[in-house]
Amino acid sequence: MSDRITVEELAELMKKSAGVTVASDDLQRQYDIGFDALGIDSLGLLGIVGELENRYGTPMPPDAERSKTPRQFLDQVNSALLAGA
Amino acid sequence: MTEPHPRRAAVTGIGVVAPNGASTESFWKSTQEGLSALGPVTREGCEHLPLRVAGEVRAFEPSAAVEERYVVQTDRFTHFALAATDLALEDARLGQADTGDAPYSVGVVTAAGSGGGEFGQRELQRLWGKGSRFVGPYQSIAWFYAASTGQVSIRRGFKGPCSVVASDEAGGLDALAHAARAVRRGTDVIVAGATEAPLAPYSVVCQLGYEELSTCEDPERAYRPFTDGACGFVPAEGGAMFVVEEESVARERGARVRATLAGHAATFTGASRWEQSREGLAEAVRAALADAGCAPEEIDVVFADALGVPAADRAEALAITDALGAHGGRVPVTAPKTGFGRGYCAAPVLDSAAAVLAMEHGLIPPTPHVFDVCHDLDLVTGRARPAELRTALVLSRGLMGSNSALVLRHGAAGAS
Repeated sequence: MSDRITVEELAELMKKSAGVTVASDDLQRQYDIGFDALGIDSLGLLGIVGELENRYGTPMPPDAERSKTPRQFLDQVNSALLAGA
Repeated sequence: MTEPHPRRAAVTGIGVVAPNGASTESFWKSTQEGLSALGPVTREGCEHLPLRVAGEVRAFEPSAAVEERYVVQTDRFTHFALAATDLALEDARLGQADTGDAPYSVGVVTAAGSGGGEFGQRELQRLWGKGSRFVGPYQSIAWFYAASTGQVSIRRGFKGPCSVVASDEAGGLDALAHAARAVRRGTDVIVAGATEAPLAPYSVVCQLGYEELSTCEDPERAYRPFTDGACGFVPAEGGAMFVVEEESVARERGARVRATLAGHAATFTGASRWEQSREGLAEAVRAALADAGCAPEEIDVVFADALGVPAADRAEALAITDALGAHGGRVPVTAPKTGFGRGYCAAPVLDSAAAVLAMEHGLIPPTPHVFDVCHDLDLVTGRARPAELRTALVLSRGLMGSNSALVLRHGAAGAS
């Protein structure tokens, strides 16, 4: 586990928490596309945040679950992880 | 002034996922042959529970039936509903091309008695095993007995009137009746039905308090309504979805009208008050016949509720005669559910599917495991009985006291 959440980990969590499969290469290319277009609804994103909090043992910022795109989301959670490190 | 043509509710598609067949065709084949799908409860975690026999749907692989996100986000009872809806829409030849431009013309109605017990159990185990932070957010919607209506609507893009009937096991019939009313009021299509998945350990434990539940270990003897050996009912999972469509709209697009939902009524007589259910069920039948404009003698076959509890069986046999008069002693009665179990709200919907198929094939399916009938009924046992069937009556009662009756007419009967 790296100290940064990667696009690969996000892809894995999308599959695990919401049952939405997007290859990490594709997710990288769709960095700015909306989660809704990817098929991740608000409950799905909430589940991903919860899973990350359990994995890293640290709370994620409240805005993380309101992120619209993978880029926004990774920026949010990684800045929290950096701040917590 | 001429009266506008009355809107009538027609069944144009049927999708079945049942213990004795995970498609409408296989369900009918097993049902008309009287094959039994009752067997030991094999679900993990149920080994030590006193419920020994159930109707499990074994020939169903969720990941083959629905997209991964629905496998992850919804419960088994919703998987059944989504799969049965696909089968029903395919049967009705009603696709995206027909309804995509008019999403508000299609609604959804379902009924469910127990909701998503398997999903809920998994999340509750996380709650008490690991802590609240390990409960997944989809728990908030997946367990809910309204989930299937919502998920069918979302997955198919149906934005018409959607609802959930919560009225006990008889709710399965009430959902079909609700669909018929919505169609008569102006919605062109309603996808309606009921599915259940009550065989997770948590759900089974919830049922153990029902004194009507059969805990017999022998699949041959566990569910034998209308006999001296009646010892309760065997639960089941699965269910059916129907495409209910305005008849003239259906005929216009060249759809096959398989049956019409001609009449319905429901009454309430209180939980486990089986003696009183006689009057309630008889009244539901009388009112359903009146709603359908149908004389008692027109009923060609009755699909019985068949609870398998002596007092309830007696009440049902008497109710049939109370409501149908002398014809009640002559009309063929059947209870094919003794071959696959009684799936709560799904039970009367599977009976309705069997009733439509019986009318189409001119064949009354038998009542498996039942041989010596101890009531004054012409119960069809042993093998299917050929008969010309134009009108069927489906009966349902719930453990909590609902009584419901539905009159179905063969599709060709409505052609003009």
